[in-house]
Amino acid sequence: MGAAGPVVTFLAEVYAWLMDPAHWAGSDGIPTRVGEHVQLSALALAVAAAIALPVGIALGHSGRGGFVAINVANIGRALPSLAILAFALPVAFALNLGLGFWPTFIALVPLGIPPILTNAFVALRNVDRDVIEAGRGMGLADSQLLRQLELPLALPVVIAGVRNAAVAIVATATLGAVVASGGLGRYIVDGLALRETDRLFVGALLVALLAIVTELAFGIFERVAVSPGVRLTRAAGARAR
Amino acid sequence: MKKENPMQRSRTFASVLIACSVVAAACGGTAQPSAQASGQASAAAAKPTVKVASFNFPESVILGEIYAQALEGNGYKIERKLNLGNREVVFPALEKGDVDVVPEYLATVLGFVDKTAKGSGDPKETSTTLQNAVKSKNLTVLDFANAVDQNSFVVTKATSDKYKLKKTSDIATSAQGQLVLGGPAECPQRPFCKLGLEQTYGIKFKDFKPLDSGGNLTVAALDAGQVDVGLLFSSDAIISVKGYVVLEDDKKLQLSDNVAPLVRNDILAKGDDMKKTLNDVSAKLTTDELIGLNKQVSVDRKEPRDVAKQWLKDKGLVK
Amino acid sequence: MTPGEPLIRWDWVQSHLPDIAQRIGEHLLLAGIAVGVGFALSFVASLFIARRPWLYPPVSWVFGVLYTIPSLALFSLLIPFTGLSILTAEIGLVSYTLLILIRNIVGGLRGVPAEVRDAALGMGYTQRQLLFRVELPLALAVIVAGIRVAAVTTIGLTTVTALIGQGGLGFFILEGILFFFSTPLIVGAVLSVVLAILVDGALVAVERRATPWARLGRS
Repeated sequence: MGAAGPVVTFLAEVYAWLMDPAHWAGSDGIPTRVGEHVQLSALALAVAAAIALPVGIALGHSGRGGFVAINVANIGRALPSLAILAFALPVAFALNLGLGFWPTFIALVPLGIPPILTNAFVALRNVDRDVIEAGRGMGLADSQLLRQLELPLALPVVIAGVRNAAVAIVATATLGAVVASGGLGRYIVDGLALRETDRLFVGALLVALLAIVTELAFGIFERVAVSPGVRLTRAAGARAR
Repeated sequence: MKKENPMQRSRTFASVLIACSVVAAACGGTAQPSAQASGQASAAAAKPTVKVASFNFPESVILGEIYAQALEGNGYKIERKLNLGNREVVFPALEKGDVDVVPEYLATVLGFVDKTAKGSGDPKETSTTLQNAVKSKNLTVLDFANAVDQNSFVVTKATSDKYKLKKTSDIATSAQGQLVLGGPAECPQRPFCKLGLEQTYGIKFKDFKPLDSGGNLTVAALDAGQVDVGLLFSSDAIISVKGYVVLEDDKKLQLSDNVAPLVRNDILAKGDDMKKTLNDVSAKLTTDELIGLNKQVSVDRKEPRDVAKQWLKDKGLVK
Repeated sequence: MTPGEPLIRWDWVQSHLPDIAQRIGEHLLLAGIAVGVGFALSFVASLFIARRPWLYPPVSWVFGVLYTIPSLALFSLLIPFTGLSILTAEIGLVSYTLLILIRNIVGGLRGVPAEVRDAALGMGYTQRQLLFRVELPLALAVIVAGIRVAAVTTIGLTTVTALIGQGGLGFFILEGILFFFSTPLIVGAVLSVVLAILVDGALVAVERRATPWARLGRS
């Protein structure tokens, strides 16, 4: 049980690092780094969603392009994010955007698109055909069908896709520190370089927390955004199976 | 700034290879491989395996390769731990005995080992001070080379024109608190880096951006205007290629950073000609030579191993 | 990346073939161990869960949290305790496989029709025989689907281990980033994807061999 000693000592160091007011101020302070991380991730997510949602919904609604829409997620999974980041560097340079924020942003957007697109497509495709028939029977126009029936019913899975993208983006934003971006990855990369394990650990802890909070936040958002009727239907359907 | 031991796998691979070759040599018994043709046949069997390390920037890898191959040419078996990391990683490894030889820079390592030490512009003096400082750690500083590589703080021509910067002290007078400094992560803590600039020159920077050790990230940041002052190394060919303005070190913050091997005493004791081999290398290494070597690797993309091999051949240090 | 330099310098590739081969080997080893250990752990966990179904939500939750934590962060949480070692890399990589594997193993087993289970028990099968001779073969398709996803994801994630001193193809990608050298970058990225595709294909082939009845059923 002598192993507990160094662990306790280390955790005490981490605590001391966190309690040091110098680490809460300035351009390398915790609030700044968290802010940078959230800002970068949120922007990338917004752009990815702006691109992927309309495409995924349109394809899902019309039923076309299924092969691509479903496999784009598989491709996204196979591509190592470090490589995407590396490819984003020359793109950023060509656009005169330099290091740090922009190459990371350019890498994050294509990372966020596959989960959102695939989920949106699948969500729309899985809307009960009977409901759609009923809607058509009631005389609903195509766009009304989409807005009033399909989207509300598809919402849970769509939000799940955005949630997955958000977590993936927060994760890869961490790697951006390798190309000189800010954010919490900075503590990890600098901690590795400086051999400061307390800084490294704090960075890792904060990133982990941020990712978990992001996941939970979207869970709450789904709870709020999805209409209770839809939720009941899904639950009943699940039980029947 | 990210990896401690990227060559760990190569090291394992190399040690397996070395182990196999030792066994083969023992069982084979016929002609020794050409690397051991130095004529000390009986002593060759007693030569130890030397662990040569280097820092994680190309110049250090080249120097490490030069030391390694020079020693190999004299019958030593080498375990390479090149690209190991920065000094925070490499120096403890040297102290512990995980590595035996490191190509070091006199004044910088002196400042690292003893924060209060008085280095000087005279390499002989610095070398003596350094030897005294590392004596208790059972390390020896071998002969230093003429080659010097020190921290150079550079700005782009545009920045130099804008703030009228020619000397480092100009920053404090003309651009105090307005410039962003870019350098390796450890820069704020290093006496020859940001710490020294603050203390010796009284400079206040607007911000500091951790980048890399005078590498491409720093160059890119300078070009993109994301940092105003960048730390590069004086022997880097990129400075003239890019036309950067090197700020003159008028208050002599950078001291004599001559290249010298830092070696563990216990490994020196095991190899009689190790000192001579490495000293012969240092005798031929000038700053211009170093810049040339750097250019071949950084600009021409040649392999450090090949560049080192050719250089040793050209200088008659190996066959 | 450096202006004037071609995208791929084939002379570099040629002179580095042994390095490339070594890194591919490292990569496969790292990923293979991770998926193997992850599968073993998930399988054992699923056996417990089969006996005590109430375990599934909490176990799933823990695995889910591990999955959510970004890879570099997870490695970094381990480094102060297990160092910059293969162990750290493996613990991290294994953690990412657990969620997908447990979901597919448990889901696959639960998907076995109750009638089939009853029939087997009626015929006198023991629990053990039931599991290995009936349930697993029937659940195989779903389980292998999970292994495929885990394998492909792990191969991608293994590249990140280069940042904590491990090898694999991520080493080339990192080299490309730091030296603005596109050749190793492209080599590392392309090979990583190719590896994932090949492993995926191999698993599909293994699955086809192992479940001959599935093909009959489909036609």
